[in-house]
Amino acid sequence: MTALLEIRDLHASVGDTPILKGINLTINAGEIHAIMGPNGSGKSTMSYVLSGRNGYEVTSGDVLMNGVSMLEMEPDERARAGMFLAFQYPVELPGVGGMSFLRAAVNARRIEAGEDEVDQLEFVKMVRAKAKILGINDEMLKRAVNVGFSGGEKKRYEILQMALLEPMMAVLDETDSGLDVDALKIVSEGVNLLRDPARSMLVITHYQRLLDYIVPDYVHILSGGKIRKSGDKSLALEVEEQGYAGIDDAA
Amino acid sequence: MLASTMQPNLDQMTGLGGVRSDALARWQASGWPDANVEAWRFTRLGAVVARDLVPAIQGGETGRETSATIAKIAAEMQAHVIRFYNGMIDVASLDGLPDGMVATHSLTSDFDAIAAEVAGLAPNDHPVGNLSLAAMSSGLRLSVAAGVQITQPVLLAFEGDGENVSAHPVLMVDVGMGGAAVIAEWHQSQLGLNAPLGALRLADKARLDYAKVQAEGADSVHLAATGIALGEESVFAGFSISAGGQLARLETHVTLTGETAECGLSAIYLGRDKQHHDITTYMDHAVGHCHSNQIIRGVLDDASRGVFQGKVHVAPDAQKTDGQQMSRALLLSRKAEADAKPELEIYADDVICAHGATVGELDETQLFYLTSRGIPKAKARAMLIGAFLDDAIDVVDNAALASMLRHISDGWMADVKGVSL
Repeated sequence: MTALLEIRDLHASVGDTPILKGINLTINAGEIHAIMGPNGSGKSTMSYVLSGRNGYEVTSGDVLMNGVSMLEMEPDERARAGMFLAFQYPVELPGVGGMSFLRAAVNARRIEAGEDEVDQLEFVKMVRAKAKILGINDEMLKRAVNVGFSGGEKKRYEILQMALLEPMMAVLDETDSGLDVDALKIVSEGVNLLRDPARSMLVITHYQRLLDYIVPDYVHILSGGKIRKSGDKSLALEVEEQGYAGIDDAA
Repeated sequence: MLASTMQPNLDQMTGLGGVRSDALARWQASGWPDANVEAWRFTRLGAVVARDLVPAIQGGETGRETSATIAKIAAEMQAHVIRFYNGMIDVASLDGLPDGMVATHSLTSDFDAIAAEVAGLAPNDHPVGNLSLAAMSSGLRLSVAAGVQITQPVLLAFEGDGENVSAHPVLMVDVGMGGAAVIAEWHQSQLGLNAPLGALRLADKARLDYAKVQAEGADSVHLAATGIALGEESVFAGFSISAGGQLARLETHVTLTGETAECGLSAIYLGRDKQHHDITTYMDHAVGHCHSNQIIRGVLDDASRGVFQGKVHVAPDAQKTDGQQMSRALLLSRKAEADAKPELEIYADDVICAHGATVGELDETQLFYLTSRGIPKAKARAMLIGAFLDDAIDVVDNAALASMLRHISDGWMADVKGVSL
């Protein structure tokens, strides 16, 4: 069986600084993997490398989705191929209406797949239904993308986009940051509804707390640009109790 | 420069009376400003000086139809269209004006008194003012009587043809006390030079929604000068979009003459190839308690250049003035250039005035966010440029004028390289 996502000995730099120093990770369809690590371990770099952001240069290794290398693909091509990144800091787009943004994203994928563009009325109904689950009201949907949203609203809006785009591979970058417990529950429920045997997720977090709500199949500890330790969900609890200190030594 | 080599050449103009004779004398004495004149430092007029131009001063055609583009826009706006060709008014198009609007024009009436009023309101000793007052192709005054509020837009369509022809339409709009009107100018010609001169006067409590489209042909030069005087509690909501021509300058001088007057004077310029767009404003807060707001947005592609010069002057007694001005330019190409010269000249001590100018490129983080959702880069760019411009057009209250302006900005964006909507 081909892995849904395979990261092979991935090295990446930002400017002249090497950040990722040989990541190996295989994610099969339907699995949820968590990456935990201290600040500066390379967690966010990994999310940007996977989504193809400019300025994050892969110096060696490969990333394959369904056996196809993604490294030569632009961010929009990767997204249409099924990659999704929920941003740690969602970007405000003043003047870009929320609904037209969501429709442009959904249509981009449909056009690529040779399907008709989504019907406007049907689309509004679909967005409302999915938004309701995430506690996103009509007023928020009408605003410009992320403009005037609270931290929690921005994170819920990320999950709404994920629900609409139905990615094969979703990377959630510190989706728990800046959320109180109630918001965390709403976001996690939204994510859990999207669990699917055909969909994999990579949940990046600093804290174990999120993993109480989005329960992973595997947990990996990233430190100094390498995966130092892998295990099941109990590894997250171990880190919670003992902290990240000592992991480098253990490796 | 010798007067006889100035373009257009007005040596043949004789027998002018009153202010037009004075204007001719000033034109013959000074002509176009050179680069040593501070107000014209960023905009050189070599492209005009080098042309062989003859002012259109005779004739006037009736019954010529406007271009399909203008006809379509006018229909959408449900506007009454007044046609000009080579600066000459088509008198037949004055039939059926909205009730309460009265037209007076120079082809059959003595226009000297109106010309004198225009001279009094227009930018003082301005090259376009001097030239177009002297050469006046035709003059039109539209007046709205006190208390008459007209909601149907009136669209003035300025078309024309001839690389050696210069057009000098003179327009005056007079809105009486408590009156209201909605007026648009649409300039789309193949003229060597189109130099419209405008004077807008709002009496106390009057309102004028005004929009201007500069969509001249690629080889045309468009130099406009407009003077505006605002009475007490009057509201002027003005918006211009400069997208056509080889060289264009839209210069507007506003005098706030009555307290609590409100003036919106916003503009967009859209440049590509080697176009040069200049938006110049002078906002004179002559009395206190007035509010002025200017939002300027420019998008420049290829080797185009955009200039914004805006001065806000607050007279010593103009307390409680609120004068705002913000200019932002977006460069889509390394060869494009934007210059901004915002100036505040404040002599009162109890005022709120702010100005700012930025020049930037499309935000990489915003582009990444859009493309990470699968939106192709070209579409993502178009969405961000559109948002940048919509933000300015959003200040236009009048829906018909806003949709007219969006027609130009959308059309321009559809042709940005690498952008397909």
